[in-house]
Parts: sequence; structure tokens; C-alpha cells
Amino acid sequence: MSQYVPGLEGIVAAQTAISLVDGANGRLVYRGYVIADLAEQMSFEEVAHLLWYGRLPTRAELDALTLELAGSRALTPAAMTTLEALPKDTDPMDVLRSVVSVQGIEHRLEKPTIPLAVHATASFPTILASFHRRGQGLPPVKPRADLAHAANYLYMLNGKESSPELVRALNTYLVLLADHGMNASTFTARVIASTDSDLASCLVGAIGALKGPAHGGAPSQVMDQLEQIGAPENAEHWMREARTRKVRFMGFGHRVYRTYDPRARILKAMCERLNPTFYALASKVEETALAILHEEHPERPQATNVEFYSAGVLQAIGLPKEFFPPTFAVSRAAGWTAHVLEQVANNRLIRPQSEYIGPEPRKPVPLAERG
Amino acid sequence: MEVPEFSPGLEGVVAAETAVSEVDGANGRLIYSGGYLIEDLAKVASFEETAYLLWNGALPDKQQLETLRRQMAVARRLKDSARDALKCLEADTDPMDVLRTIVSAQGAAKAITKPTLDEAIALTAVVPTIVAAAYRRRQGTEPLEPREDVGHAANLLWMMEGREGSPERVHWLDTYLVLLADHGLNASTFTARVIASTGSDLTSCVVGAIAALKGPAHGGATYAARSMLDKIGTADNAEKWLREQHAQHARFPGFGHRVYRTYDPRAKILREMAREAAPELYKTAEHTEEIALQILHEAHPDRPNATNVDFWASVVLTGVGIPKELFTCLFATSRVAGWTAHVLESLADLRLIRPASVWKGPQPGSKPLPIASR
Repeated sequence: MSQYVPGLEGIVAAQTAISLVDGANGRLVYRGYVIADLAEQMSFEEVAHLLWYGRLPTRAELDALTLELAGSRALTPAAMTTLEALPKDTDPMDVLRSVVSVQGIEHRLEKPTIPLAVHATASFPTILASFHRRGQGLPPVKPRADLAHAANYLYMLNGKESSPELVRALNTYLVLLADHGMNASTFTARVIASTDSDLASCLVGAIGALKGPAHGGAPSQVMDQLEQIGAPENAEHWMREARTRKVRFMGFGHRVYRTYDPRARILKAMCERLNPTFYALASKVEETALAILHEEHPERPQATNVEFYSAGVLQAIGLPKEFFPPTFAVSRAAGWTAHVLEQVANNRLIRPQSEYIGPEPRKPVPLAERG
Repeated sequence: MEVPEFSPGLEGVVAAETAVSEVDGANGRLIYSGGYLIEDLAKVASFEETAYLLWNGALPDKQQLETLRRQMAVARRLKDSARDALKCLEADTDPMDVLRTIVSAQGAAKAITKPTLDEAIALTAVVPTIVAAAYRRRQGTEPLEPREDVGHAANLLWMMEGREGSPERVHWLDTYLVLLADHGLNASTFTARVIASTGSDLTSCVVGAIAALKGPAHGGATYAARSMLDKIGTADNAEKWLREQHAQHARFPGFGHRVYRTYDPRAKILREMAREAAPELYKTAEHTEEIALQILHEAHPDRPNATNVDFWASVVLTGVGIPKELFTCLFATSRVAGWTAHVLESLADLRLIRPASVWKGPQPGSKPLPIASR
């Protein structure tokens, strides 16, 4: 038996050909392509095809996949009524977890397949947009089959088409976040898949993991922190003071990257164009945070992570902050499902060991003698 | 940096330190929190006492047990929104899908909260309500309200059947729930700990664990074992059926375990109970076990005897009167105590579980072709 490694850091839990986080060189690679080469040129559909099939689609394949996704957007009647049963002020991540669970029921214990992955991925925006509208007292907007994934999500949220610029921004966000190695939610999906469970089960587990603030729950906290700081000129004072209270800076730190996160770089440039007010504050906060973190730990690398500038892009698109984490899930659904398919193709139950640190065996005292 | 070796299934990798339970496979021992061997505990403790033990690290005294029983009794009711969500699901929905969904809906909240012991108690208390409702809806009858004046196992039978179970049935069910309540870092418990490691809430951890337990390679094995016994039918058919299956390289559900190298101590207790709980089925099961072990020994003389808990649990649950479609849900009814205990334990030293992967894809860096040139 090996030694206990907290957090399984450095322990190889899977072999994968889906994505590579090359932390040392600051590269994220999907199926051999560096993220910077995909981000602003590819549609989410093309990237989903790449993750699921292992290669970029031809025109005909892309048309077929686009059509299949568009045709799978409607919720089942049970999923729609479940969505309506949940209180309006429910955390959208809890809504997504519950309704994805219902949407997957019809597939029972079917072995995960690409068509099932397409079906599940297509439903995420419908769930979130319908719930968002419900919160505003508005009826859900029917999905449009003639719009691509990003454009249709915005259309269902707002009831009207968004500008090409915003659609492009959301599309780029969805491409950038679609996969990221053996992160905690993807790993959760693979552990669940390893028991021969179904795709919906893998996805609800992954959503539950993504919800955690140490994983996908961070972008909304980035927003909270920026709201508290308020203005660029407050950054230095607020942050130094916060540090004396051991407050963590949200949107900084990553276990894998040793250089600037390549996704953060692209999102940062997008923020500057799309959300100048956010950018003015955020770039100052970033500069200050990195300076303070460097003073404290000069040996550690620069560490702005993807959540930090995600917040500004998602805000520019018009999403309220509680919809940031579930929109992360809209993107990552492609990666989760791709990993489930890969796990299933060469499966072995993931069952690690634990080290017992409790008392040595002894006899229990019956209740009557326990006082 | 040296690339660590890949151990498929993380076999042999230590992913947590725990005092909740220990599977001592070499000696065939299962140790629960506090250092108690499962066979000792099963004799003296109810499910509620066992859950208290897993959560608190010590057995309760009378006062503490009474407080817990009271707290669980009042937490058995579903929220209105969860009740409404339940009505949205088709009556013939897989009970595990009902459980996964309704636990999620019951725990749906305005904002994320850190897992607490009170939440663990409430979640454990409400699982039988959902399981019984799923059962009754399948039967075409209305779900029943939980009772507050009976214990956990008795209330489950009441909510399923609308009448009190005999003391024997309650006892068999209660013992089953004690035996299955925890088992080291199995796949569902590990799932719960991975989710907890992100700072997520208790409901998310338990929903993920239910999702993992649903898999036939994990919680689904009790159902598979019972289905096998159904196919075999009578003891005199066992040899022929098993030999045929073996010739086709089919696995025998209810046999084999990655950790135990001796007879699973839980299987031993369940086997004894099965004799009394389901005498007819016991005869078939006993003979099936004998032949199955014989065939497996002939095929792999180097491997240890390997009847697992699922095999005999399927017989005991049948004796309790539980239909096999509900077996995995019963497993969850018990294991939720362990899942929540593990999550609470992990909070003390929370660290994101984020393993590494080995790249098996194409060499990075090739430029993507534009779509017109593909």
C-alpha cells in the first residue's frame, strides 16, 4: 500500500486523450490543439465534437451535430414540472442538479454514448434559461433550432437575440471552459462512471462538485469581493487590510499552472473590450493581489486563475452572478461527458483505499450499561 | 518531475485518512468508528446507535440516543417542493433515480452552506420517506406520511406497507442497515469525499454518492445477486446453471471483492439471518454459494473464498419483504450514515481532491485546420 497523499496531488487517476493541462508551460491542450488556437476560431459545437469524437468535424459532421443538439433542447415534461416545483429563489446550481437528474431518467441504466452526451449537453441551457425567466416572473422561451448553442442560450435567457459580439464572447467562454484535465468535477464524473452507473448520474455528481467554492463556485465570489472593494483606488487599502484578517483573494491560485493560465489571458483581453468598468477595477485588483501574494510567497508563480476574468465576461453577457457557476457547467458538460465515454471505453472501478486512524479494536458496551 | 505510475482504479492508493471505518481485508474484519468489530456491534446496536457512532465517534448513552431518535423522527417529512417534485416523476421511474432527484430537491436551497451534523441527521432521516414513496407509487398507491413514534427501520416498513412489520422483520432490516452503514473508501463514499473537497454542500455530496451507488458494479450488485437466484430457481438447478454461465465467461453476481481475502464478516452475519428470514430461498442460495465457490476455486485456486455482502443481503432483504427493485435504495438508506460521516470528517482538514492524469493524446501543438479544409 502506498503512502497517503492529501488531495491525491500528483497521483495519476486516469489516462486520457481528451485534454492536457501542461502546467509547466502554461498550456491547455484539447486533443492535441492548444487552447489559444481554438478559443476565438471555433464554435462550441466544433469543440464538443472534438472532445467527443477526437477530431474536428467536417462541414457535414458539424451540421449534423448542430442539428442534433438543437433538436435535443426541449425538457421532458417531468423535468419542466420539477423545475417549476422548486422555489424561485433556489440556487441555480441546485436547480441544475435536480433537473438534470430528472431529464436523465428516461435513459435509466443505459451505457453512456455520444448521442446521450449530446442530449444531456443540449438540455443545460434550457434548464438555466427557463429557471432564470421564472425568477423574473416570465414564461420560458422555447429554444430556437436555427441558433447555435451560445446564441440560443442567450436567446432563451433574454427572449431576444443578442448582438454578435456577445454571442461570440459567450461562445469563446464556452470553448475555453469545456475541459481541463482531471479536475475535481470531471474526476467525480469518472468515479461514478466507473461503477457502470448512467450518464445522468455522472453529471449530477459533477454538478455537485462544481458547486464547491474551491472549484466552480468561485466566479460569483470574485464578483462579491470586487463589489466589496468598490473602486480601483480602494484596492490597495482594502486588500492589505483584508490580508491581516486572513481573507483569501478570490480568483487566484491554481494547483497545476506554474505560469499565467492561458484561458485567463484570453478572458482578460475580452473583458477589456466588453466590460471596461469591470476591467478597470479588476485589473487593478489583480495587480495588487499579485504584488501582495508575491511579497508573501516570492517562490510561488503568478496565479490569476480562470475564474477571475470569467466573472467580467459573464457579467458583460448580462448574467447575474448566481448564474456564473451553472454557466460554467453548460460548458464543462462537454468535457464531463467526453471523460465519461473515455472511462467507460476502458473501465475499472475506481476504489482507492483509506488509512485507518481510529482506535484499536475493542468491544462495544450494550446501551443499558452506557449510563 | 517524475511521472507517477498509473494505478488503474486507484487500487492500492491511499486517498484519505479516516476513523469512520476500516476494512481489514487480510483478516476479514470490518471495524466501525470507535474501534468496534462489525460482528460485535451488530449484536448490540440499532441503526440509530450505529449512525450516532459513525457521526460522533462514540456510542450514545440513553439520553443521547433518545435525542437523536427524536431529531430523526421529526426530520422524516419531505418539504413541499420535494413532495411536488416527486409527483412530477412517472410512477415507474427507477427508484434510484427517484432517490437521486428527490434528495437533490429536498436539499435545494437559496445559498450554499457547509455540511453540519444536523443536516446529516435530517438527510439520513428523510431517505426512507423517499424510498417508501417510490415503492408505493410503483404499486399504484399513494405515499404515506412518516410516523414519529417508531424507530428508523420500523418506520420504513410502515411507510412502505401501511401496517407495522413484525418484530422479526424490523430486526432483520435494522441489522441489515447496521451492517451496510459504512465500508471504508468504496466508490460512493469516495465520490462524496471528492465532492466535499470542493467546499460543496452535504446534499451535493449525497446526491453524487447515490449516483455512484446506482452502478451495477457497486450498489447494483444486490439486485443482480437476487436476479441470479431467480434464474436458478431451485437448488437442484444451481450446478447446471452456474456451469453454463461460467462456460460463457459470465461473472457470478455476489461473489468477489477487491479488499477481502477471507469471508466477508457481514456476509457471515447475513447468512445466519437468511436461514431464518427466508428459509426457502436460503436453500437455493446455500447450494448456489457452494457450487459457485467450487467453480471459482477450480478456475482460480490461488484466489480466496469470495462470497460478498450482496449475495446474502439479497436473501435477507427478500425475507424482510423488500422487492429487488428497491435493493439499491435500501443500501443507500443504510450507507447515507457513512457518507455523511465521511463528509463531516473530511471538513476538519479539507483539501481539494484533484489527482493527475497521464496524457495519451496526440502530440500537442498541431494547428487546427479551418472547417473548409477538413
